[in-house]
Amino acid sequence: MLALQLLATGLVTGCALGVVAISFSLVYATTKIFHVAHAGIYTLGGYLAWSLVLYGAPLLIAVLISVAACAALGALIQSQLYARLERRRATHLVVLIASLGALAVMQNIIAAVYTPDILQFPIEWSSRMVSVGAIRLDYTQLLTILVSLAAYAGTMLFAHGTILGKRIRAVASNPMLADITRLQPQTVYVYVIAIASALVCLPGILVPLDLGLQPYNGVTPLLTATIAMIAGGVGSITGAFVLSVAIAVVQNLSLLVIPGEWSIGVTFFIFVIFMLFRPTGLFTAR
Amino acid sequence: MRGVRIGMAALAAGLVAICTPANAETITFGGILPLTGPGALIGTAEMRGVQFAVDQANAKGGMHGDQIAVQFEDNQAKPDQSILSFNKLTDLQHVSVIFTGYSGPTLAMAPLATRKKVLLVNAGAQADALSKASPYLINTLPTIGGEIEVLSQWLGSEGKKKAAVMFENDAAGMSGRDDYLKFFPESGGTILAQEATQFGQTDFRPALLKLADAKPDVMLVAITAGLLQMAQQYKQLALKFTVAGTTFFADPSVIADPSSAGFVHTQLRIDAPPDLAAQFKAKYGTDMEFFAKQFYNAAQIVLATLDKVLADNKPVTGENMHDTLLRIKKFQGLIPLEFKTNTASVPMDINIMRDGKDVLLKEMKLQ
Amino acid sequence: MDFLYSYIVLAEIYVLLGLSTNLLVGIAGIFSVSQAAVFGVGAYIVAHFMMAPDPLSFIPSLAIAAVGCVALNILVTLPALRVSGDYFVVTSFGIQLLATAVFTNWTAGTGGANGLPGIPPPDLLGLPIETTAQYAWLCTGAVVLGCLGFFLIMRAPFGRLLRAIREDETAVAAAGKNVLRAKVSAAALAGAFAGTAGGLYATFLSFIDPSSFDLDASILLLTMVVVGGARTLAGSIIGPFLLLALPQLLTLVEIPTTIAAAARQLIYGLLLIMFMLFRPQGLAGERL
Repeated sequence: MLALQLLATGLVTGCALGVVAISFSLVYATTKIFHVAHAGIYTLGGYLAWSLVLYGAPLLIAVLISVAACAALGALIQSQLYARLERRRATHLVVLIASLGALAVMQNIIAAVYTPDILQFPIEWSSRMVSVGAIRLDYTQLLTILVSLAAYAGTMLFAHGTILGKRIRAVASNPMLADITRLQPQTVYVYVIAIASALVCLPGILVPLDLGLQPYNGVTPLLTATIAMIAGGVGSITGAFVLSVAIAVVQNLSLLVIPGEWSIGVTFFIFVIFMLFRPTGLFTAR
Repeated sequence: MRGVRIGMAALAAGLVAICTPANAETITFGGILPLTGPGALIGTAEMRGVQFAVDQANAKGGMHGDQIAVQFEDNQAKPDQSILSFNKLTDLQHVSVIFTGYSGPTLAMAPLATRKKVLLVNAGAQADALSKASPYLINTLPTIGGEIEVLSQWLGSEGKKKAAVMFENDAAGMSGRDDYLKFFPESGGTILAQEATQFGQTDFRPALLKLADAKPDVMLVAITAGLLQMAQQYKQLALKFTVAGTTFFADPSVIADPSSAGFVHTQLRIDAPPDLAAQFKAKYGTDMEFFAKQFYNAAQIVLATLDKVLADNKPVTGENMHDTLLRIKKFQGLIPLEFKTNTASVPMDINIMRDGKDVLLKEMKLQ
Repeated sequence: MDFLYSYIVLAEIYVLLGLSTNLLVGIAGIFSVSQAAVFGVGAYIVAHFMMAPDPLSFIPSLAIAAVGCVALNILVTLPALRVSGDYFVVTSFGIQLLATAVFTNWTAGTGGANGLPGIPPPDLLGLPIETTAQYAWLCTGAVVLGCLGFFLIMRAPFGRLLRAIREDETAVAAAGKNVLRAKVSAAALAGAFAGTAGGLYATFLSFIDPSSFDLDASILLLTMVVVGGARTLAGSIIGPFLLLALPQLLTLVEIPTTIAAAARQLIYGLLLIMFMLFRPQGLAGERL
């Protein structure tokens, strides 16, 4: 009974995390940028949607506008920041620090505008409950699972079934060759970050719909997602998603055997050991 | 190397600029609080409380003709930044009083406060180590142990014998847990399970589920952030045990939410009169919650002390402020409180949340 | 002038850490984001021995911390020999988060989230060091020694070997040099720097808690090294002094109180971005 319910809540958390991981994986596998500012876009998406809902927009409209805004912001960061750095032949470390700067800017704009208080979506149905056997979930949690699975399926279809998707994979596997064959990696990068930003906006709204908004709360999911991505194998969308779900479920179920304050420590301990024995990840990269 | 020289020159110019003294006609106090980063959630509320009280005093013409200013420094809840800020405020602004609200930073600043004779006023942290950290550290709210002892006794008398503890994995939460582990069994109960949550994380479901599995009569809570989310998740999971906590529970948004019905807690008798709370909400757009009230109250104590120091024609030094405060001893801010030691004794009640209101169940006394 | 002295002390402690990070990341090419964890272990070791029922004095405690951190740093950089590049970065992330979990939850050893208050001030051969000014001298001494060591190593054949490894590890191995031993030595040296910094930090603050040794601190260290200039001695000195001063300088900007702190952090972020755009090699770095 307890295990089942913990499994269910772990699945919900994991699915949301999975979308963060997929989106980060898209960026990382293609551009090789450690795009920490992604956490800022995740947070910003939620706050934008919150504002729109507050001013009376239906949730769906609010989500669509936020997704579009996030995509635009992501594209802006790539074209105005990362592309410039690339032209100056900056090292990975320099790009990482610039990305941290962008994250600080976004987080603190949010904190200045919305205050650091925890904000709740003024939506009444979001906490209505559904019982399936012994498991109780609210509407938001169910919605999170559905949307996340749809996002995963959509990304798979996109990557393998569309021309842009194939172009992205081509650039990811060999940017030099892609450059010569006029696939225009820099343009592709802008598309990739825009798509990833649109994707990450979804959990950025769904998670706060359930748990409330905080300006500095994007970093933890991003870090966990990064670890899922690496453990799953860079470039593997399925790997990133599955490992995210696995990590969240393990963290939840670990409560059955160890005290909660150690669950994060134990998760990372397992991860470090895992990396030593299987350094290229579970799912082979493509 | 041009960049180096420009950088160094700018650095030097800036450090000189910092050293410009403050305006002579205002009395400046300091506040060292986490204003950015995850702790900002609480630090900002604390800052609002102090600022609100000081603005009120200034609107009434200040203190004996002097205006009061508070310079707030952001320590991001880190001890090293706090030390820098402390030295900055005392060296450059010559502040005599510094408001602080986190136990780690406060413990780091306490030895400095003793050495430099600066009054540290803590109105937020309740870790037990604070009561003896420095003679110059004044705690305007009792350590969490005092509240938990009273709560445990009351729960024992109500026949709640089996408890589970939910605590935040930080200094405040762990102090609370240790006190529950000490006092609840002393009142004849047993602790069946305990579970940690991360500060600032608002997903309490795993912890709630695990604690519920131990089948307690009561869940003892020591968390400072995300209480509303905890209450809602408790309700969603259809849990039946009583939820008990300390003054932290008295958050207007939690009390107003139907999910908190039946929560019991100790309540330091601190409540903002409705018109004051309304003014606060008009000014800052948010409710005057626990920490804002506490720091408003602390600022009132400091202002009352300042009033006396100025009336006695003494210079406003940390030493004079400290001595005068302990000599006045009894204060009437938002609550009546008394300093028998460095830590205030405050009257306390047991309250229950019911129909969106916080209702008095029983009056208790704090030793 | 305690403000200036305490700024100098903290900046100098970060210079030692900067040297440690620079040695690993800039020179040996081991991209570690867990240096704050090693720093923390140094701090906790010194605190432990100076507060033991039978306390040791400062220098022996510091020596134990340095040795302990040498061992620990070799241990945490060992994965770098097996996994490379981005995989090591993330493994190192994991080590950092694991360390934070241990600092926070191992209450018996570290005081847990409550931290360890009341760490006694250090002494130097029986001479007590209590005021901030004396402290500044002590740290300056330590930094001068550290910088001298760093400078000499960089000029020695060992320094050239490390640089060569970063440029082309395979070529160095093919030339018959022992790459493994060189990397382990670099890690050991970096550990000694971090451990010493930890000891100075713990005794200066007299209080330590996990918040000083978390991922943020590791990232701040990297930022200091990059802004100052990776791979150079001057960079490791300028970076900490500049980045520690920056938040203080930003308090000069007049902003309404309620959003001041956030606005200042925002400016900090902007400066970081501009800096990376216009001077990616850092203030005193070699052209990358």
